[in-house]
Amino acid sequence: MIKSLLRQGEMAVLLALALVILPLLLFLPVWLPLLVLCMLALRAVLLRRQAAMPSLYLLLPLLLLAVGGLWLSLNTLVGREGGAALLILLLGFKSFESRQQRDWQVLLALGFFLAAMPLLFDQSPLAAVWLAISLLALTWAMLILSGEMVKGSLRSAMQALALALPLMLVLFVVMPRLPGPLWSMPHDQHVASTGLSDSMEPGSISQLVQQQEPAFSVVFAGPAPAVSEMYWRIMIFDDFDGRRWQNVRGLGSETVQWQGGHYVSYSLTGKPAKSRLPLLEYTVAAPAGGTLEPGNLFKLARDGDELFRFQAQSLLAAHYRTVLSPADQDFYRHLPPGNPASRQLALQWRAQGGDGAGFVRAALQYFRLGGFSYTLQPPLLNSEDGIDQFMFSSRKGFCEHYASALAFMARSAGMPARIVTGYQGGQFNPVGQFWQVKSSDAHAWVEVWLAETGEWLRVDPTAAVAPDRVVQGVSQSIPAMQPQLPGLGRSMPSWLLRVQQNWQAAGFAWQQWVVGYDAGKQLNLYRWLGLGEQVDSGAVLRAVLIGGGLACLPLLLLWRRQRSGSPLQQGRQRLVQALASMKIVVVDSDGPLDILNKARRLSEPDYRQLKALLKEYAAMRYRQPARQQQAKQWLRRVKAFRPGRQ
Amino acid sequence: MLPFRKALQRWLLSRLPLEHGGRLGQRRIYLLPTRFGLLLLVVALAVWVGALNYAVSLAYALAFWIIGLMLVAVLMAYRQLSGLNWTVLPGEGVFVGQSADCRIQLDNDSALARRLQLRAGQGGEPLSCLLAASSSQSLALPLLLARRGRHGYPALQLWSTAPFGLMRAFAWLRPDGHVLAYPLPMPDRERNDLHSEQGSGRQSGDDEEDFSHLAEYRQGDTPRQIAWSVLARRDVLVSKRFASQPRGQSIRQLAWQDYPAAVDMESRLSRLCWRVQQCEKAGQHYRLHLPGVVIEPQPQQRELALAALAEFKRPS
Repeated sequence: MIKSLLRQGEMAVLLALALVILPLLLFLPVWLPLLVLCMLALRAVLLRRQAAMPSLYLLLPLLLLAVGGLWLSLNTLVGREGGAALLILLLGFKSFESRQQRDWQVLLALGFFLAAMPLLFDQSPLAAVWLAISLLALTWAMLILSGEMVKGSLRSAMQALALALPLMLVLFVVMPRLPGPLWSMPHDQHVASTGLSDSMEPGSISQLVQQQEPAFSVVFAGPAPAVSEMYWRIMIFDDFDGRRWQNVRGLGSETVQWQGGHYVSYSLTGKPAKSRLPLLEYTVAAPAGGTLEPGNLFKLARDGDELFRFQAQSLLAAHYRTVLSPADQDFYRHLPPGNPASRQLALQWRAQGGDGAGFVRAALQYFRLGGFSYTLQPPLLNSEDGIDQFMFSSRKGFCEHYASALAFMARSAGMPARIVTGYQGGQFNPVGQFWQVKSSDAHAWVEVWLAETGEWLRVDPTAAVAPDRVVQGVSQSIPAMQPQLPGLGRSMPSWLLRVQQNWQAAGFAWQQWVVGYDAGKQLNLYRWLGLGEQVDSGAVLRAVLIGGGLACLPLLLLWRRQRSGSPLQQGRQRLVQALASMKIVVVDSDGPLDILNKARRLSEPDYRQLKALLKEYAAMRYRQPARQQQAKQWLRRVKAFRPGRQ
Repeated sequence: MLPFRKALQRWLLSRLPLEHGGRLGQRRIYLLPTRFGLLLLVVALAVWVGALNYAVSLAYALAFWIIGLMLVAVLMAYRQLSGLNWTVLPGEGVFVGQSADCRIQLDNDSALARRLQLRAGQGGEPLSCLLAASSSQSLALPLLLARRGRHGYPALQLWSTAPFGLMRAFAWLRPDGHVLAYPLPMPDRERNDLHSEQGSGRQSGDDEEDFSHLAEYRQGDTPRQIAWSVLARRDVLVSKRFASQPRGQSIRQLAWQDYPAAVDMESRLSRLCWRVQQCEKAGQHYRLHLPGVVIEPQPQQRELALAALAEFKRPS
């Protein structure tokens, strides 16, 4: 059925195009790919009936209408979505205009370009599989369109793609990558950003925690630090309006003196959210590709949400000393009115502890012993005196509640304080030898500035309430969460754990070596292979020559196999060679009987074997045409024939 | 582009000797991308630039896969021609204004089917052929002959864009063969006194004619002349030729001097040609006299006579 449909190359082209467009249903407004698919189907029907094409006067207004609809639903005609949408629309209309072989070839070439479109939205292994399927369909259509028989051409298409595969891999690895884009592109507003939000009010992080998506992955050079030391900084909130924490100012500059600590270096791969990526605290020098903002935050030099990979060095457990001007101190002490009871308690702690460090000790003591509990479903707090309500009545909450309360208390006691959000901890994957940090590791903690030492001190009140949270992660610290997270928890059988770890490792490898293969990784590979210290023209040339040579080996093998002729010819050749080794010379004009005559002086068993082989040869060659299978079996026997070695 | 191509073509042709046949190898096969191939290359480039800009790794994979496919297409197109044997077959003469066949035979001794196209020169009408594995096929390329004489086979271009249509592998052949364009027969009834002669010479001599030799069947041969026994045995149509005693008037003399000096060369040749045809049709023995040449009755006399007329005072 399909074969008879495909008999025309044009049909094959239409079918391949439909296949290529299919995944765009997921990423574009659904009506648009559907419309184009319908157009392709209609074109196929017209083709089958040999009917006349609709006139240009009908098509042109329709095209304008469709482009108008596109504008209404996307508000753009450029960029990732707009561009892809416009392209498939034009393709649909072009199919109505295709009459000659040349038009169909143009359409097919456009199909190859179109196959790249879904990759802009998704680069998962599934997208790669679909890319391979699309390529196969397009190549097959190309074969049929250029006049190849339908029968057997699918096999040829697969063979050609398989032969091209090593070349593709070599080029993929060695062709230079750019560290940044050639031109900046309009930023897509439609993509919902994942990760931490711009502001924090109770609820914003707990939503994130309930997701199990991988946020980023890390490979440490050397031994990894303890989980409780892994604080990944992303954002700082410095202003409180009584309900929500936000970042309003952002310091202009900061002079930092680091004291103590030990160095850890690592490489991190993740998707930036609003150009931000996590940094293990504290990082002394800005990693390549971005800048270090005051507050020890990493901001990428460019926009975009493509996967980014960087190397960094962190000074763990260091003292973060900086000088705050009086104005800055005031800013970090600012509070809206309200929550009188909490203010009262804060002043009490201050008096109790004496200095700033004493205050912190007192506060943590209070959280530890004050009957607080850690839960993802805390009761709602009212807006006016939320802190009071939390501190004195509900006492149930999540990291954001604790951080918010502690920062408020510190400010009430006249100490500069701010909230840091990011991730805490991670899970080691022994299969892939990397650390996976998930959405559920999202966390918030507090930094308090101690006037005595001029140090931003990290204080994690959640650790005081639920110490397990920072040592083992969320799933261990909340018993109630365990049934909701089937992939986690101690009760998981070990085989399931292994499967999960393997799956994670495969995902990591995919991210590292396929999706995240960038200029940096390439440079490392070049060095490792000894191709050069830099990815320059000489090194690329060397790599292309060496790799290309290796990749052409399968082509050579194919070439040799095809040259060697039919099994019968090969077999005769083998026999002649075998006899030549016994000093029996056979010329081309010798028939089977002549050969047998010449080989008379062979030993008895050899002679009998040769006779049998030649008899069969004569039968296949002269009596009835040999079937392929039979000839191959005969060839196998010929190869086993070794005169004089028994 | 065009002058460049012409120059290239001239250069290619000037390198080639005239040949009776040969085997196509590396030195003879040239490869160029087709228009479609170039388009796909542009597409690969566009995908590559997009991948570079948007840092989409899988798009790199796509671009490089297309490039890889192009390289595979180069090899496959090359394989369509490589190792192909070709042989020139002799051409048959025709009269001026008719089209003759340049015939060449292609032998495919590999285990690979080939899809080939052949045309004369750069602009001729292409001839397609599908050559199955281990098979031979002879192709006849029509060639319109506008003037009398010997025409060498034109340079032939043999090419294939199979299997993808992305790459074009081509080879130029300079076959060492020729076809003859015989003068256009011009009726010359005045000197065609065949009928009277037939009455005396032919009919009475029928029984006395002796079998001389066998020749290829020609249109116009009577059933009496056909060698039926050969037909039964070998399945080829062959005619018997008879040689009678040379008895004076039964041999027609067709001579250049039959015409007054005022008649120019071409019309003389055309008339002689017509008369040769008439004699052949009637089975009449004849002798052709041209200045410097005499064609006696003999096997293949028609071909020899027509060839002599065709090549008369024409540099070959």
